Amino acid sequence: MKVVDRDKVRNELLTILTELREDWEYSNEITEQTGIFSDLEFESIDAVALGSAVEEHFDQSLPFAEFLIKAGERQVKDITIGDLLDFLMANLDGAKGRPK
Amino acid sequence: MSGPVILFGLDGATFTVLDDLVRKGVMPCLGRFMASGARGTLLSTVPPLTPPAWTTLVTGRTPGHHGITNFLQYESDDSRYLRLVTSRELCCETIWSIASRQGRRAGSLNFVAHNPAPKINGYVIPGWVPWRWVKKHSHPADLIDRLKGEIPGFDVRELALDLKVEQKAIAGEMIEDYESWIDLHIRREPQWFNILRYQMKHDPCALVGVVFDGVDKLQHLLWEHLDPNMEPQSPSEDFLRIRRHCWDYFRQLDRFLEETVKSAGPDGHVFVVSDHGFTGSGETLFINTWLEQQGYLTWAPGVEVAPDNSHELLERRPYNLSALELSKTRAYAHSPGSNGICIPVKGDRGDVGVTPEEYESFRAELVNALRRRCVDPETQEPLIADVWTREEVFHGPRMGLAPDLTVGLRDNGFFSVLRGSQALKRRPMVIGTHHPAGVLIVHGPGVREGATLQPAQLADVAPTALYALGLPIPEDLEGSLVTEAFTPEYLAEHSPICGPATVRPAHLPPDESRDRAYEPESEAEVLMRLRALGYVE
Repeated sequence: MKVVDRDKVRNELLTILTELREDWEYSNEITEQTGIFSDLEFESIDAVALGSAVEEHFDQSLPFAEFLIKAGERQVKDITIGDLLDFLMANLDGAKGRPK
Repeated sequence: MSGPVILFGLDGATFTVLDDLVRKGVMPCLGRFMASGARGTLLSTVPPLTPPAWTTLVTGRTPGHHGITNFLQYESDDSRYLRLVTSRELCCETIWSIASRQGRRAGSLNFVAHNPAPKINGYVIPGWVPWRWVKKHSHPADLIDRLKGEIPGFDVRELALDLKVEQKAIAGEMIEDYESWIDLHIRREPQWFNILRYQMKHDPCALVGVVFDGVDKLQHLLWEHLDPNMEPQSPSEDFLRIRRHCWDYFRQLDRFLEETVKSAGPDGHVFVVSDHGFTGSGETLFINTWLEQQGYLTWAPGVEVAPDNSHELLERRPYNLSALELSKTRAYAHSPGSNGICIPVKGDRGDVGVTPEEYESFRAELVNALRRRCVDPETQEPLIADVWTREEVFHGPRMGLAPDLTVGLRDNGFFSVLRGSQALKRRPMVIGTHHPAGVLIVHGPGVREGATLQPAQLADVAPTALYALGLPIPEDLEGSLVTEAFTPEYLAEHSPICGPATVRPAHLPPDESRDRAYEPESEAEVLMRLRALGYVE
């Protein structure tokens, strides 16, 4: 089984977001503690687009809708970059759902 | 080498409205374009819904093959969770890719299910992407920054989907603010057109497509102002003012078309196409409420009845199934646009639903119930005009993603998936809804001037566009070349060529069964095959 390096995944995830930060007029540093809704001011559709970007970057289909909906069901106040990283660490090496 | 081929997409355009606008002098260029081109009805997918329809148009394949069946699809074959469709769900090659693979640059603007953008030889700015992600999901990576620097007034926020505003409008919250809604689209469309104009000048492509989706958006809310058959005998000043404002939107589109035809030049072909047509709908069927009444569905505790003043047309939010008591549910609908009913089968997406052995008989029972018992309580007339199984309308390798049943309502409307206080409600006003009859108008060299075409299928556009481009038509396309759009002389001089099958999109794992070598056929064999298919006489 392929070993996924958390630091590597975090750096790549932060790179995706940091590249767009200026366009979003978000001047703070993006860290694992950054909330996608409270800090980055995402709408729900932005979270979906983030999922697509992550899938594209890692070239792997991921159960991102399940992740977002379960977070909603738990009534969590926000999803942090750290939460997203945890999700990626749990799923990057065992993706399901790729169209065959 | 032929001139460029430009697909000028008008989402939801129908001849009912376009012919009226030409008659009233609102769209004079379109009038000239139709008079010097060939026109006909373009039949949409079942259901006539934007994602499967546009995807069929740009792939020449049907939804069971290309894999885009709705706005929302199950995340995977065994998931209960729904996601918005993206290019990763697309299982067939697009015409942009087919052309660019053969050395022709291609450009695609505002097409659904194109995000993240496929890396073609050309450019792609996908539609249905929120502004924060347009740059990331476009191709090439520097395109948006370049356009920002080069196009005065370029504003990615105006260009992009703003779901918050759109949901308000489609939920009826902006129902009294029509003019802001029209203005939004009068501002948005030039953003797309300015890109088209800039790219045609600075990065000319052999094949370009653009979708203007305001046509659909205006018709949904303002159908009464656009359908000539609904024009009141003594229209109020408000009605006339709003209609004039709608016409401003269409006048602008007419200018865009005029400039596009000019840019295409005398050797270029321009196709005006729509993904579906439009009509009026005056009632709402709350399908899940009807299923509840029939004992097929149980709501989860606490699910509230939708308010009577809801003007819901479409609710595209990712919808999870927590609104239902799945263990007591044998049929449900999860999204209104698909008009699709799902039958949970034990073992497929969890341990709920009917057993695999019960499935066929249960589905037949449900079809019968929908046809016979889903009736108008006042007249006892059936509310459902058609019921299709997924084998009938989604046949293909991706059929498993489609709903088990798809229904066509008597007024062509979309049902609501909300919990209603009753199964059928009259709408407070007639709203616009999708109709299968869209538009196809072909213009350019060799096109039969003023011809009226037999109804074509959406899947016919891809082979016809490739033909106009001078490229072979891949052998696995399901659509056919619309030969009657062209003169016999043109067809004789430009013999249609059947080419190798399309290529599997790069994001999919390899399919060994398709990885076979293509053996070129002789010209005579190709012609014989095309004759058999009716492509040439």
